[in-house]
Parts: sequence; structure tokens; C-alpha cells
Amino acid sequence: MKTFKALLVREYWEHRGAFLKTPLVIGIVMSVVLILFYLTTDRFAVKMNGGELTDFGAKSIGSVDPANIQFGIDVFMLGSASLYHFVLFFVLFFFILGSLYDDRKDGSILFWKSLPISDTQTVLSKLATATIVAPLIFVGGLIVSHLLFFVILSLILLLYGINPFTVLWANVNYINNWGAFLIGCMMQALWLLPVYGWFLFASSFSKRRPFLLAVFVPVMVGFIWYWYNALVNFNVLQVGVFKTIGIYLAKGFSPFTSGLGFSTESLDFNPTEQTGIEVISSMMNGFTNPSLYYGIVFGAVMVGVAIYVRRYRNTT
Amino acid sequence: MSQILTASNVNKKFGSFQALRDVNISIDKGKIVGLIGPNGAGKTTLLKSVLGLDSCDGDLRVLGIDPFKKRDELMKEICFIADVAVLPKWIKVSQLLKFTEETHPNFSIEQAKAFLSKTKVNMEHKVKELSKGMTAQLHLAIVMSIDAKLLVLDEPTLGLDILFRKKFYDNLLNDYFDNERTIIITTHQVEEIEHILTDVVFIREGEIVLDANMEELNESYFEVMVNQENFEEAMNHKPLTIRKVFGKHIMLFKSTSRDVIETLGEVQRPSVSDLFVALMQEEEV
Repeated sequence: MKTFKALLVREYWEHRGAFLKTPLVIGIVMSVVLILFYLTTDRFAVKMNGGELTDFGAKSIGSVDPANIQFGIDVFMLGSASLYHFVLFFVLFFFILGSLYDDRKDGSILFWKSLPISDTQTVLSKLATATIVAPLIFVGGLIVSHLLFFVILSLILLLYGINPFTVLWANVNYINNWGAFLIGCMMQALWLLPVYGWFLFASSFSKRRPFLLAVFVPVMVGFIWYWYNALVNFNVLQVGVFKTIGIYLAKGFSPFTSGLGFSTESLDFNPTEQTGIEVISSMMNGFTNPSLYYGIVFGAVMVGVAIYVRRYRNTT
Repeated sequence: MSQILTASNVNKKFGSFQALRDVNISIDKGKIVGLIGPNGAGKTTLLKSVLGLDSCDGDLRVLGIDPFKKRDELMKEICFIADVAVLPKWIKVSQLLKFTEETHPNFSIEQAKAFLSKTKVNMEHKVKELSKGMTAQLHLAIVMSIDAKLLVLDEPTLGLDILFRKKFYDNLLNDYFDNERTIIITTHQVEEIEHILTDVVFIREGEIVLDANMEELNESYFEVMVNQENFEEAMNHKPLTIRKVFGKHIMLFKSTSRDVIETLGEVQRPSVSDLFVALMQEEEV
């Protein structure tokens, strides 16, 4: 257990830039955009009508129904959370592809293997980093980013003489929205487990470019399968490679919609128009979907293969 | 247990290439063994099997453990330096020591810090900021702070200058080695390590061609500076090699007794590298 904890800390040391700085940088960018937005609107309003319109708008905000304000904040929080899920996937994509390849490339694998750590522990520590540690850091990063955004928004509200506590802070559904992101990260990890497992295998197996193996082999297989079916017209299995991969990727890219099927009645579900609680309960529906479990089984098998390959591969 | 390593009929094939051929060897506690062979002879392949980094056929036991099956268990008792460049570049020295302490039950972080305090290695530096020599010092400091029964060094001083190389082996001998430990070294700079070796193993095309301790070598191999008048007689004793230096012939003999050889000229102890060259040529003829 002590060893496994040390392995997770090691991953954090190596990838602190990607895991910690990425969510914070997005948060800072959001805040900067807000400030720019304020500056341009303010100038524009002053130029057009001496600023009366903004003053009028600021005064009327007190009479807006709090439910509408809450709804607006929910839209912002869940929308930005959705962006974070998307970014997290790309961060993890590059992290996993390098995780069992980079140390073979620079030879440091021979140092890691000179320590009493089994290959199983090593590979599982990479998987746990991708599915648990990095998402948790992103949750922290999202919370800090939202708070920063709200603080700057409060300052802007104060400039207009609006009390930010009654208008903004009292109307934020902290637990629901941040909870939705946390649960979303969990569902994302579960839905993407087959993808992560495949990437781990590619990283462990590849001699030159894990990226090519990870991306182009499935694409090639998909095309071959497509043309086989188009030409031979004898599809016993009734599965589409692209469709299968697409389902898992779609659910992983956007976990907030992952609980939905692909039937027409669910197509008008817009997660940003729901409250955090509704999104959470929708995501939980994924547990009734057998595809989730097929994916987890496939992911587990690929992780097993990655461990097996890791024992032999010491160089690139 | 006095036997640290035993191999019987160990074979390894890469496709149709036989990298190791019926290797039989046993190494006792308290030895410093030089594993010497030309490039591609199978040194690294053998060491990889010993360290559990690759599988092999036959019966190989290190400290009674099958290395490939239980590498993590074995690594509690042995440690190795494979090349100077294998420490991860991104890590800080302090993090490296901390990680090793957390994962290795026989590692003493105080000792490692004491070793490093004598060098220019700074705890806050990243490995990529260190020079090649400092990286080697850092690696050696970590390895020497591990209470291991067997230390394996595969070209540990490759690419280092002569000052570092000398210091490296001095540290190893003075601060680390005792009769409870065993060291296996491979290097191309045989001259630099031959004075510290207790045993030598020559390997060629995957086969062990010589496995002897230094005393045995000194009793059976002689280098003689043959005088001109004894040249004919010396040739009758079938020297392994002949070199001509300043008009005199230096010949290498394998013989069971020193007495006959002494009559031919001035007898010297042959260097391991000369012996190595001689034995490699002998096999080729």
C-alpha cells in the first residue's frame, strides 16, 4: 500500500503541469474573458448612451426572479464543467500514451525496474492516476476556477452597486453542480475504461509511436470491417467497429449526457438546461446499460495484456 | 546460503539467434566477478535474465529465487546500475531519494544523503540538470545505500572521464564492498577493474569460455619476455599469443608449472585484457 501511494505521488510529480496547471489555466482564461467582456461592454455603453443602459440594467437585476439567476449560474457551471471533462480526456490521452512508453524511450525503466515494485503495481498506478487522481485534481481545479470567476464577477457587480452576496453567492448550487462534475468524472472513467485500457496496451506494446498504434489500428480495423461488410454482405455479428468505438468515446467526451440512450426521445436533452441534480440522476442511468459493463471487461483485459507486455519490454 | 547465483543449462534465443548457449555458472558470496566479452557476446542478455528483466530457458536461481517470476521480490535483495543514463530526467534529487525510501525496505536515505554531501549534487536539482558524472555519483549513492546481497553493474562508467571512473571504483571498494556482499561487473575498460576482481568470467557468442578466480589464472597463465636465443624453444611450447616489443618477443603461455616457463625469460603476470584477447583469438582458430 505504501508502495502504491508512492507510485501515485510519483505520477503527480511527473505530470503536475498537465494535471494541476491545465484546469487552473482554463479558469484564469475564463476570468480574463469576463474582465475583457466587462471592459468592452462598459466602454461601449458609455460611448453609446453615457452608460445609462448599464445603470438601468444594474438596477433592474434586483427585481429578477432568483430562480432565473440560479438557472443562469447552473448553465454556466455545468457548461464549463462539460468543457473540463472534454479537456481532461485529452490530458489523459497524452498521459496514458506516454505512461508506459516514455520511460522505455529514455532508458529510465531500468531504474524503476531495479526497485522492488512489480509490473502489475506500476501499470495499475498509471490506471489509478488516469481514473482517480487526475480527475480529483481536476475537480479541485474546477472549484478554484469557479470561485475565482465568481470573485471577479462580484467585483464587477460591486462596481455597479449591486450586492454580490444576495445576487450571486446566495444563488449558487455549489454541492449540486460540483457534485455533478465529480460524478461526471467517475462516469467518464467508467465509460472510457476500454479506451484507457487500449491506450495502456498501446503505450506498453509500441516500439516506435504509441500514438499510431492507439489511433490508426482501430481506424484501420474499422475500415476493413466496413469494406468487408459492404462487399461480402455477410455480417453475422451485427456490430459496427466505428459505431462501438463512437458510443464509448461520445459518452466519455460528454459524461453529462452519458446516461441517455441514443433513441430519438432523448435527443432534445440539453444538459446545460438541467439542474445539477437532474444531470446526476441521468448519468446514474448508465449503470443499467450493459454496454458499460462490456466496456469495463474489455478495459480490464487490455490492462492485463499491458501488464504482461510490460514484463518483457525494457527498451523501445 | 553461500551461493548467490546458480545457472544450469541456461539458454536464450531471439528468433533463430542463440544469444545464450548452455550457460553453467555459480557465483559464491563475497566475490567480485568481472563478466567480460566482446560486443554482442551475450553479457547483457545474461544479466537481463539474472535481473528478471527477461525470460530464459533452463534453471536460473538468484538468491534461490527465479528472477523473471518474482522480480519485485528479488529486487529487495539485489540492485543494479545498467547504464549511466537511466535515472529519470524530470525527477528532483530529493524526490528520487524519497521515492526510493518509500518503495525499498532496505534503503537508508540518511546514508544516501551522507554520500551525496561529499559531491556537488544538490538535493533541489533535477536529474537533467546534473552532469553525466554527477548522475553516476547520484546513482551510485542510491545503490550503495541499499543493503543488498548482490550488486550488478552493467557498464556503470560508460562515458565518464578517467577521474570519475577511478573515484567510482574507489568508492565502491572502500565504502561498500565487504565479504557479505557480491558484485558482478561488466565493462569494456577491463584494465581499470582487474585489480579489484576476485573472479573473471569470459563469455563469447553466448558461451562461457573461462570461469576462474584470479589465483587460478596466475598459476596457469604466464607472460614471458623471451630472449632471442630462447625463441625456438619457446615456440615449441606453443604460446597462445606473440607480441613483439623493442625487438623482444612477449609470449603468453598456458602451463601447469612455472618452472619450465621461467627458463625462457622474464616471467610476468598477464593482464586480464591480454588474456582476454588471447582466449578470444584461440577460439577463432
